[in-house]
Amino acid sequence: MIILGIESSCDETAAAVVKISGRRFDILGHTISSQINIHKKYGGVVPEVAARNHIINIIPVVEQTLHQAKIQPKQINRVAVTYGPGLITSLMVGLETAKTLSFAWQKPIVAINHMRAHIYANWLENKKIIFPVMCLVVSGGHTELVLIKDNSKFKKVGQTLDDAAGEAFDKVAKLLDVGYPGGPVISRLAKTGNAKAFNLARPMINANNLDFSFSGLKTSVLYAVQKAKRTDQKFKADMCASFQQAAIDVLVSKTIKAAQQYKVKTIMLSGGVSANLLLRQTLSEQAGYFGFEFLMPRIDFCTDNAAMVAVAGYFGQTKPYQKIKVDPNLSL
Amino acid sequence: MRYFSKNAKETYNLGKKIALTLKGGEILALSGNLGAGKTVFSKGVAAGLGVKAVITSPTFVLMKIYHPKSKILTLKKFVHIDCYRVDGPMAIEGIGATDYFNQSDSVVLIEWAEKIKKILPPSAIKIKIKILKEDKREINIIK
Repeated sequence: MIILGIESSCDETAAAVVKISGRRFDILGHTISSQINIHKKYGGVVPEVAARNHIINIIPVVEQTLHQAKIQPKQINRVAVTYGPGLITSLMVGLETAKTLSFAWQKPIVAINHMRAHIYANWLENKKIIFPVMCLVVSGGHTELVLIKDNSKFKKVGQTLDDAAGEAFDKVAKLLDVGYPGGPVISRLAKTGNAKAFNLARPMINANNLDFSFSGLKTSVLYAVQKAKRTDQKFKADMCASFQQAAIDVLVSKTIKAAQQYKVKTIMLSGGVSANLLLRQTLSEQAGYFGFEFLMPRIDFCTDNAAMVAVAGYFGQTKPYQKIKVDPNLSL
Repeated sequence: MRYFSKNAKETYNLGKKIALTLKGGEILALSGNLGAGKTVFSKGVAAGLGVKAVITSPTFVLMKIYHPKSKILTLKKFVHIDCYRVDGPMAIEGIGATDYFNQSDSVVLIEWAEKIKKILPPSAIKIKIKILKEDKREINIIK
């Protein structure tokens, strides 16, 4: 089966062609047009600017992907597209394009939940997945623990009660005035800092549930900044390192706890924040230490892309295009 | 009205108390720095209105809509908007958020409302949270 995936939920316009044979997923072509430099000066994604750029980029991105994959539209078996969650105006560009292509080419269409697609990025590794799996999904808008019983049975068992982990990185970067996007900036500065310099709160780490809270961690950074006499480069590096360590401690310890509680075989990582090297390393070590298999996507497929959408399209159900609408608040 | 809150729990309870005075159609315009407790207050308002779902920060998607089981039978929506990432009113108008303003079936709560002052109706209830020492907050509610 050959699937064309389309993704435009935030600030990346992406398309991919994935070929599925047996249990193998091969990426024949994939393109990501990022708007990160456009939004950098605003310190975040501006919806109408994003939508305008999606409109400019979407057709060239699809064309380039098909060209790269050496695939003609008639060879495609289905079109998979993200319909939520995300920014409504961004989502609409991808979804309406996919519906139009599906109608013009007479191909079935599958509407994909973006967060599920992030989880499916793990399937692109083509490793045997031993179920059940506990997956930590971390991104700018989400922090969730998802129990996966088979290729399409997903159940949320824990989540953040306030800010998402990626959002906490962005906001702490703003508090420290070190730039945007917060994730990469903080981990870069953290390399030169001392993670033990500040003893920050690790909210809910010992709570008897599988939920997270990152708002309190952000607030404890705020208090430390207010207390500090000088916020020089060394202070910032130390704070970045301490904050990153605290966030990762909570993420990893709750994931291990969830994995033990649900007696899973494998621990999985997904979502944009899974590109964070310290998180990858720590979770991988801890999973091994506690005797779990461990799986995570390659760094390039951690952030938004369409290959993961195509994989999700393989496991999803087709629907008449008239019945598909964007859902910016869609949950997992 | 001026209130003082000693901790997050009190801020939450104040939000809950305010919610009980609402009838639908109101806009709550929150302002206050990072870490002031706007989301905590919002969670209190949502709980007071009868929202059962977990209220998470709308920073990333700008707007989240919840469907409360409210004592006010006509209240169908709790609209939680966050202007933290936006530069001005355009982005908020662009995602259709203003469609929910002044609708009797909706209560709208806007965090970082000072960023979209230009499009706030005069009837908006202004809530300003100021960080005092550590966990203490001063909360001013101007109707």
